[in-house]
Amino acid sequence: MEKEKRQRNLNSSETKIDMVLFIPPAKVFVLHLICGLGLASAFWAAQNFYSINLVSNPAETLHLIWIVEASVVILLYSLFRHNPDKCSYFKAVGRALVGLPAGAIVNALGAIVLGAPIGLQHFRKTVHWSLLMSVLTFVPAASVFGSSWTDWHRIFAQTKSIGAVDYMICFPAHGAAIGAWFGAWPMPLDWERPWQEWPICVTYGAIVGYLSGMMTSFGFIAFKNWRRRVKGD
Amino acid sequence: MNTRTIGNYSSLTCTKLTLFTVLAVLIQITGLFLFITGFFPVKPTLSGISGLESFYPPGSDPIDLSQNASTLPPDKLKSLYQEVSGVPPVFNRLVLMVIDGLPAEFVLGRDGMPPSKEFVEAMPYTQSLLTKGLAIGYHAKAAPPTVTMPRLKAMLSGAVGEFLDVAFNFNTQAFLDDNLIGQFFRFGWKMVMLGDETWLKLFPGMFTRYDGVSSFFVKDTIQVDYNVSRHLADELKSTDWDLLILHYLGLDHVGHIGGRNCILMTPKLMEMDEVIKMIHSSTIQTQEVEQRGTLLLVVSDHGMTESGNHGGSSYEETDSLALFISPGTFGYTSETDIKAFQVDIAATLALLFGVPIPKNNIGMLMEDVFTSLTDEQQLRILELNSWQLLRLLQAQFPELECGRFSCESGSGGHEGAEMFCCLYLDAAALFESWKSKNSSRSAGGDDYRNIVLAYQNFLRSASKWLSGRATDKPIGLLALGIAAMLLSCSILVGLLFVYGRDAPFGGRQHLSHIDNMKKWHLDEIFSLAVIFILISSMGSSSMVEEEQYIWHFMTASLYLIFFRKTLQFSTPGRLLDAQNVDRKQKRSCSRIYSIVAVLISGRILKGWHQGGVNWVHLPDISKLLEQAGSAAIKSLQLISVLLVISISLTAILLPFWKSHFVMLFTIIFLFPGWLVLLYILNYQDSIVTSASSDAIATTVAQSIYALLSIFTVVILFTIPWFMPLKNSKTFRLFCLSSDISPQIQREPLFWGFRYSIYAIGWCCVFSWCLLQLLLQQPINSMPVLLLLVQILASIWYFSDGGPHTRQWVEVAALYYVGMTGHFGLGNTNTLATIDVAGAYIGVSSHSTFISGILMFIITYASPMFALLSMLIYVSVKDMSAFMDTQNDMNVGQLLKTCVGYPCLVPLGLNSIFLVAYTLILLLMRNHLFVWSVFSPKYLYVCATTACIYVGTSFVALATTYTFMVFVARRKLKEGLMNE
Repeated sequence: MEKEKRQRNLNSSETKIDMVLFIPPAKVFVLHLICGLGLASAFWAAQNFYSINLVSNPAETLHLIWIVEASVVILLYSLFRHNPDKCSYFKAVGRALVGLPAGAIVNALGAIVLGAPIGLQHFRKTVHWSLLMSVLTFVPAASVFGSSWTDWHRIFAQTKSIGAVDYMICFPAHGAAIGAWFGAWPMPLDWERPWQEWPICVTYGAIVGYLSGMMTSFGFIAFKNWRRRVKGD
Repeated sequence: MNTRTIGNYSSLTCTKLTLFTVLAVLIQITGLFLFITGFFPVKPTLSGISGLESFYPPGSDPIDLSQNASTLPPDKLKSLYQEVSGVPPVFNRLVLMVIDGLPAEFVLGRDGMPPSKEFVEAMPYTQSLLTKGLAIGYHAKAAPPTVTMPRLKAMLSGAVGEFLDVAFNFNTQAFLDDNLIGQFFRFGWKMVMLGDETWLKLFPGMFTRYDGVSSFFVKDTIQVDYNVSRHLADELKSTDWDLLILHYLGLDHVGHIGGRNCILMTPKLMEMDEVIKMIHSSTIQTQEVEQRGTLLLVVSDHGMTESGNHGGSSYEETDSLALFISPGTFGYTSETDIKAFQVDIAATLALLFGVPIPKNNIGMLMEDVFTSLTDEQQLRILELNSWQLLRLLQAQFPELECGRFSCESGSGGHEGAEMFCCLYLDAAALFESWKSKNSSRSAGGDDYRNIVLAYQNFLRSASKWLSGRATDKPIGLLALGIAAMLLSCSILVGLLFVYGRDAPFGGRQHLSHIDNMKKWHLDEIFSLAVIFILISSMGSSSMVEEEQYIWHFMTASLYLIFFRKTLQFSTPGRLLDAQNVDRKQKRSCSRIYSIVAVLISGRILKGWHQGGVNWVHLPDISKLLEQAGSAAIKSLQLISVLLVISISLTAILLPFWKSHFVMLFTIIFLFPGWLVLLYILNYQDSIVTSASSDAIATTVAQSIYALLSIFTVVILFTIPWFMPLKNSKTFRLFCLSSDISPQIQREPLFWGFRYSIYAIGWCCVFSWCLLQLLLQQPINSMPVLLLLVQILASIWYFSDGGPHTRQWVEVAALYYVGMTGHFGLGNTNTLATIDVAGAYIGVSSHSTFISGILMFIITYASPMFALLSMLIYVSVKDMSAFMDTQNDMNVGQLLKTCVGYPCLVPLGLNSIFLVAYTLILLLMRNHLFVWSVFSPKYLYVCATTACIYVGTSFVALATTYTFMVFVARRKLKEGLMNE
C-alpha cells in the first residue's frame, strides 16, 4: 500500500516536473543557436577587430571568447532558472557570476591533474582557458540550479537528466569536457604544429564537443517532444 | 541460479586455475623466445675469413691459392698480400686510441661550426694538428645501439652488429667473425692492448702484452685512465709492436656521472690531449727510423647525450669521432665537417695496411687519408673495396651475376640487384679502359675523376643498401612464436572471463546493488579502453618515444573517473539511519582524500622528469633541483627517506599496536632504514673518493642488501606461524568493518591470514622502497616516496568498502599506476636512460649477473612496487561477501578468491600488450626507426614481462604459503580439541 502510494506520488511528481520543465524545441534551438553564434562571433571579432587568433595569441583570444560567451550564456540560461517565483532573474545572473570563477578553479585543477603545464608563462593561458571551460560547463548549471546539491549531483555525478533544462545543461557541458579530453591527444605528437601547444587544441576539442553537445541536446528534446505528441494522439 | 553457481565454481577450481595460468605463462615464454630468435638474427651473412681471393674479382675466386695461403707463415703471407694487391701499405704501425664516449662535436664542432671555446682550449694540441693539416677528422656516425661492445665490433669488422648485441654487451664473448684484429694477427703483427678489458674478451690470446681495466666501476674517472697511461711511455719507446690499442674509459665515466658539462670534462679532455701529444711527438721521432711511419687513429665508440648517457640513436649519441693523425701531412686542408660512418673505419684501416677487407664489411673507404698514393693505387683500393662489397651483395642476391643483362644507361629504371650490378660494371669498365690507354692518361684528369666518381657511386649506394637492408626473417619461426603468444594471451584472457563470471564482486553485496553490478560502468569501460588506446598509440614512433604522456593521461583520467564515481555514491540515502549516514559520509570523504592524494602525487611525479625524446629539454622538477644544487637534492632525499620510513612504520604498526610484534617490526624497519640514511649521508655523492671510503661504502651497501633480504625472508616464513589464532581486541585492520558476522571474525583463516599477509606485504614494500632509495639516483628519491603515497592511497581507496568498483578494475588501476610510475622515475623507451651507474653500488667484484639484476631492480622499480603492493591489497580487501555465501569454507576457493585477480589481471594485461606489440614490431619491420625506436621498446616490453612473472609468482607463492600455514594450524588446533 505504502509503496504504491509512493509510486503514484513519484509518478505525479515526475509528470509535474515534466510539465514545468517542458520547453518547446524551437526555443531550445534558438537558445543553442545563440550560444553557438556567440562563440562564432567571438572568433570573428578576434580575427577582424583585434586581428588575433587562438594560435598566435591564445590568452587574449580566449579572454575575448569567454567574455562574449559568458554574457550570452548567463543572460540566456538565467531565463530558465528553477523556481522562478522564488528566485529573480538578477539573482540567477548573480549566482552564475559566482559560479564562473568557482567552475574555473575546478576546471583548471582538472586540467593540471591531467598534465596541463604549470609555469608562469602558461599562467594566463590556463586562467582564460579555465574561465572559458567554466562558461561552457559550470555557468549554465549555476544560473539554473544555484546551489542545489541534488541537482548538481544529478547532472554532473550521475549524468541523469529529467526535463529539457537538464538536457540543455548536461549535454553541452559533458560534450565540452569530453571534447577537451580528446583535444589533448595531439599534444605529445612530434608534428611541430603551433596549434599543438597548450591550450589551443584542447580549446578546439572543447568547442567541438560543446557544439555537438548542443546538437544532441536539441535532438533529444525534439525527439522527446515528438514522442510525447505521438503518445498524446 | 544456485545450481548454476555451484556448477561454475566446480568448473574452475584453484588447481585448475593455477595449472592453466602456469601453462599459459610457459607457452608465452616459448613464444617470446621463438619470436626473439627469429626477429633478431645473430648470424652474420657471410661465413669465413677474407683471404687472398679478396684481391681478385668476384667470380674468379682462385680456390687453390686461398687454400695455399692459409698454410703460409705470416711473413710470406704479408709479402704475398702486398704482391697481389699492388698497393704498398701507407703506414707501418698503428696506434689505435679509443676514447670511450667522446662525441665528435667536442673536437670537430657541429654543422661546420667550431666546437665550443672551452673544448678548444681543453685540447690545444689536437686542434693545432687539425689546423696544420696533420690530422683528418671525421664525424663517424655510429649505428644504434650506441654501447661499447657492438660499436667496437662494428669498427673492426665493418659490419653493423645485430641488435641483440646490446643484450650481450655485459657478457662479452670472443669475436669470431672476420675482423681486422684477426687479419693483423694472421699477418704476423705484434699487438699490445691497454685499456678496457672488453678487448681481451673479444680477442683472447691475440695480444702480446696487455693490461685490461674494468669498466664496471663507473664512479672512478682517474684510476681507470691512469692504468692505461702508466705503460704508455715504455710502450712508445719499444719498437716490437705493430699495433698499440689504448682504450680510455674515463671520459665515458665522467659523462655518466655529470653529463656533457660535468666539471670533470675539461680536465679529462686535457688529459686526452696530453696523451695524443705524447704519442704524436713520439711517432714523429721514430718516423726517421721507419720507412712509412706510425698512424695514430683516435676514435670514439659512441657519443653521449646531454646528460651523459648513451645507447639510443640521437645525433648526440651516434656522433662519434674518427681522427687520423699522421706523422707527416695528409696534404689536405683541414675541413672539420666530413661525414662518414663508423663502419668505414674497418675498410679504411684494412686498405691502409694492406690486409684483406673483412668479409661482412659494409663500409666504404675514407678516401681523404689515401692522398699519398698514386692515382692508379687509389683506383686499385676503390676496386678492392668494390669487389668486397659486390661479394656481399651476391650473398644477398644469390642469382645475381653481373654481365648477364645490358646496362645501357638509356634504358634506366634498374632496381635493386641490377642497379648495383650496373653501377659496378660502369666503374669497372671505365677503370679497364683507363688502364688500357696507359700512355695517354694524365694525373688527376677528367677520366680519372670519372672513374673515382663511378666507384664512389657504387660503393655509396651498396653500402647504404647493405646497412639498411631488411634481413630475411624466418617466417616460420616468427609465425610460431606469435601463434604461441596469441594462444597464451587467449588462455589468460579466457581465464579472466571465466574467473570473473564466478568470482564475487569486489565488496559486500547488497541486494540493491545486484542490478547495478550487472551494468558496465564507466570505470570498467575506461580501463578496457586504456588497453586499446595504448596499443593503437604504440603504432606511431613518436608515441612510443613519448609513452609517458599516455600513461599519465590515462591513469589520471581513470582516477578522475573514480572520483566522479565516489561523488556519485556519496548522497546520503533516505533509508539509512543517522549513524550510518555519518559513517558513510566519513567514508566517502576519506575516499575522496585518497583519490586527491593519488592525483596530486601523480601530477608531481609526471613533472619530475620531462622524459621522452622531443620535449626532453623543457624544464622539469629534476632540472630545477639540479640547478638548485646538491644541498637541495640531499635535503629532499633525506626528507623522502625519513617519510618513507615513518609512513611504512605507522602503517604496519597500526593494526599491531600493543602486541609483541611492535618491537619486532620497529627493529626490522628502523635498522636498515638507519643504514640507508648513513649511506646517503656519507657515501653517496662522492665523485672522487679514496679507495678506503669506497670499500666502506661497498660494505655498507652490501650489508643493506643482506639485511633487507634476510628480514624479508624471515618475516615471510615465520609470521604465519606466530600470528595468534585468537583474535584479540588489540588487532584491528583499518578497513575492517564491523558488520561482519562474529562467526567469520573468529575464523583464523579469515583474519589471521589477512594480518599475516598485511605484515608480509608491508615488509616487502618497505624493503623495496629502501632498496630503491639506496640504488636510484639521488634525484629520484622523492618520486619513490610519491609512488609509495600513490599506491598506499589507491589501496586505501579500494579497501575502504568500495562496493561499486569491480576488483579487476582495482588491480588494473594499480598496474597502471605502476606503469605510470615507471616513466615517472625517468625511464623512457630508449636504452639511454637505463641507470648504469647505480648497478655497481655495493658490487665489490665484477659480476655481470649481479649488476644485471641491480639494473633490472632500478629500471623496474615501479611496476614491481605495484605488484608487491598487491599483497597489501589482498590483505585489506574485504572478502567477507564470499565468506558469507560459502558455508563449507572450501580452502581452494578461498585462496582463489584472494589471489585470483591480483595475479591474473597483470598477467592478462601484459600478455595483451606483449602480443599487440609483437604484431606492431612485425608490421614495422621495414620502418625507418625499427632499430632505434621499436626494437628498444620491444626489449622493454620483454623486460616488463619478466618483471610481471617475477612479481605475480612472488605474490602467488607468498599468499599460498601463508594460507597453507593457516590451514595446517587450524587442522592442528582441531586435532588437539578433538583429543
